[in-house]
Amino acid sequence: MSLQTYGWMVLLFPLGGTVLIALSSQLLPSKLHGFVGTLAIALSFLSAVGALFALQDLGEEERQVVTVAWDYASTVGVDAQLSLLLDPLSVFMALVVSGVSTLIHVYSLSYMESDRGYTRFFAYLNFFVFSMLLLVLAGNFFFLIVGWAFVGAASYLLISFWYRRTTATAAGIKAFVINVVGDVGLVLGTYFIFKHTGSLDFLRAFAGAEEIARNDGDLVAGCLLLLVGAFAKSAQVPLHTWLPDAMEGPTPVSALIHAATMVTAGVYLIARMHPFFEQAPIAADVGAIIGCATLLIAATIGLVVTDLKRVVAYSTMSQIGYMIMAVCSFAYAAGLFHLMTHAFFKALLFMAAGSVIAAMAGDQNLDRMGGFRRAMPFTFGCMVIGGLSLSGVPPFAGFFSKDEILALVLAREDWHIVLGVLGYVGSFLTAIYTWRMIFRAFFGDPVEPARELEGGHLYHAPEHTNPATGEVEDSDVGFPGPEHHIAEREWSMKLAMGLLAVGAIFSGLLQVPKVTDVIHKFLEPSFHESRFYEELEPSDGVTWIGLAVGALLALGGIAIAYRLWVKDPARPGAIRARLAGVHGFFVRKWYFDELIDTVIVRPFAMFGRFARDVFERVVIDGMFVGGPAGAVRAGSAAVRAVQSGFLRYYAALLLVGVTGLGLYFLIAAS
Amino acid sequence: MSVEWYLVVSALVFCIGAGGILVRRNPLVILLCIELMLNAGTLALVAFARAHGNQDGQIFALIVMVVAACEVAVGLGLIVAIYRRRLPIDVDELRELQG
Repeated sequence: MSLQTYGWMVLLFPLGGTVLIALSSQLLPSKLHGFVGTLAIALSFLSAVGALFALQDLGEEERQVVTVAWDYASTVGVDAQLSLLLDPLSVFMALVVSGVSTLIHVYSLSYMESDRGYTRFFAYLNFFVFSMLLLVLAGNFFFLIVGWAFVGAASYLLISFWYRRTTATAAGIKAFVINVVGDVGLVLGTYFIFKHTGSLDFLRAFAGAEEIARNDGDLVAGCLLLLVGAFAKSAQVPLHTWLPDAMEGPTPVSALIHAATMVTAGVYLIARMHPFFEQAPIAADVGAIIGCATLLIAATIGLVVTDLKRVVAYSTMSQIGYMIMAVCSFAYAAGLFHLMTHAFFKALLFMAAGSVIAAMAGDQNLDRMGGFRRAMPFTFGCMVIGGLSLSGVPPFAGFFSKDEILALVLAREDWHIVLGVLGYVGSFLTAIYTWRMIFRAFFGDPVEPARELEGGHLYHAPEHTNPATGEVEDSDVGFPGPEHHIAEREWSMKLAMGLLAVGAIFSGLLQVPKVTDVIHKFLEPSFHESRFYEELEPSDGVTWIGLAVGALLALGGIAIAYRLWVKDPARPGAIRARLAGVHGFFVRKWYFDELIDTVIVRPFAMFGRFARDVFERVVIDGMFVGGPAGAVRAGSAAVRAVQSGFLRYYAALLLVGVTGLGLYFLIAAS
Repeated sequence: MSVEWYLVVSALVFCIGAGGILVRRNPLVILLCIELMLNAGTLALVAFARAHGNQDGQIFALIVMVVAACEVAVGLGLIVAIYRRRLPIDVDELRELQG
């Protein structure tokens, strides 16, 4: 089959899966829907692999194929076609997205088994994957925006999946609203770019990019607006507040949204739009600085959060900060390489966290965990592999990808060196907070659920509570059903986590500095017009020192975490007491929620109330609606008085009228 | 005989009919008065036809008769319906349709 066919098949399978599951929800047994959904995504992944081989068969110059299904709209110079752009970048993204999503589906088969919304869950999941694949495969701005908005909608559905839990619906709304802010940014940014290039098609627009003056005002504005879109999807400061709240969704959703798919959309967008960002370096610099700020802010919050899933969520934010920093510093291959390794180890960490949460019967609080090491050896192993990879210990995947980013940022040689150094600080913090989480959950004295599990019995909470607020709720709302599923007992969870662990260990070998160059070589045709892709190369010294420093920082961070949370468990409390102000600042997440609440939410709510009370009630209801209605009412009251109901009165009126009319014409005629 | 005399008679009959409609309250009589007015019109038409020496007016007169027959059928039907529902046979009492 041709590359084009494969490209369409990648999209077709998840869409078909969604429709099939949705339409047959009452017809087929719900167990089957899980398999249908998983099969659809697996076939999509196989199609992506097929596309990869078909793409490699083409010559290096020809590896940018556009396939058009039909013209959606072609009028007054707007060329909106349903077209896919198949090049190394989009195929790479499709592979990562569909591959990791397949494993997440496999994991969900067991994890969500006793949830009453099993069928609904898989329909949403397939829809989400379809949206994400549409986003990465779209061949023009039009369908990029469509996919972008679909992903936002799907994330809303998934985050508020347990819709009877108020905190979950609030989190879904928050994610959706912030995503819409991003959508607006993307649409307006597209407008600024369209204004100059006159084409919505990616390749034609990129060809026009070179004719725009460097740092042209419109182009910088357009790129900054694109960044707004990217930041909202990728949870960068200050549009990040939705991401930790999105942990209200089921754990597979967290793994799907925060590991492989949605949050990487911003990284993909910037990499895809690189011709514009290279023409507007000011915008790229802004992006790099924000990425760096995000990675530090998220890392500091990750140090103090006590919710297991939220620690992983903040680490995601931090790692996405690295990727944004990389692609905005024009180190595209490094950013996308980290995107891939991150997808593996972060999905793995989320799955392991989900397994622990299941063993805790839905409780996510690290303060109440401990000693799961012997009770859950498989989960522990996966968590350690994910943790080593995330904190960048050689030779795990995260080590190579993170250090490649930092080496390339340092290779920019201007003020980017500051960003690179801060990136190393961030990687040190990463090691500490990752291992804080692992040590607190798996080491120390076994808590009651861990002891019960060691005795072969899975702990069940006496009553289900909302992990965020602690309020009691009924059993089939909060947690996946009355039954809990842990990785030690479910083959499908084991399979998914095992495969991801392999990826988290070995995927770094694809691009070892000075040895292998697979990702860089593969992605090259997508970046052939980039001025930096080949030129940006760290010197040997920077490379080796960077690797050594990265490894030392990671090991040092782990050692510190070991000293603090295993050797001397009283010490963290003492440190916290000494630095109460800083600790409080981090626990309140740098007051970003409060800031946004004061600066945006409250003024808008006040404005809305003003509009309702004054504008709506007085101007609209009173004048525009009430005015004409009053006039008609008064007029009709006057006319109605004539309608007395007396037949003879009507007859008299008629006669008088006709006589009057006749007389008028007689007089007028004579 | 000139046409004026016919027209005088016609106008007289028409005015009798109109006056009857205005002063009488029995719907049956009102119907009769309407017939009078119609026939006054017919008389005028026939007179004009004769004066002009062609048949157009006479044809119109025939059509008016047909219309009058239809109108009587409907009118009588209404009166019977009023009677059946035991409503007063008095147009001043039947005034539900006021605004």
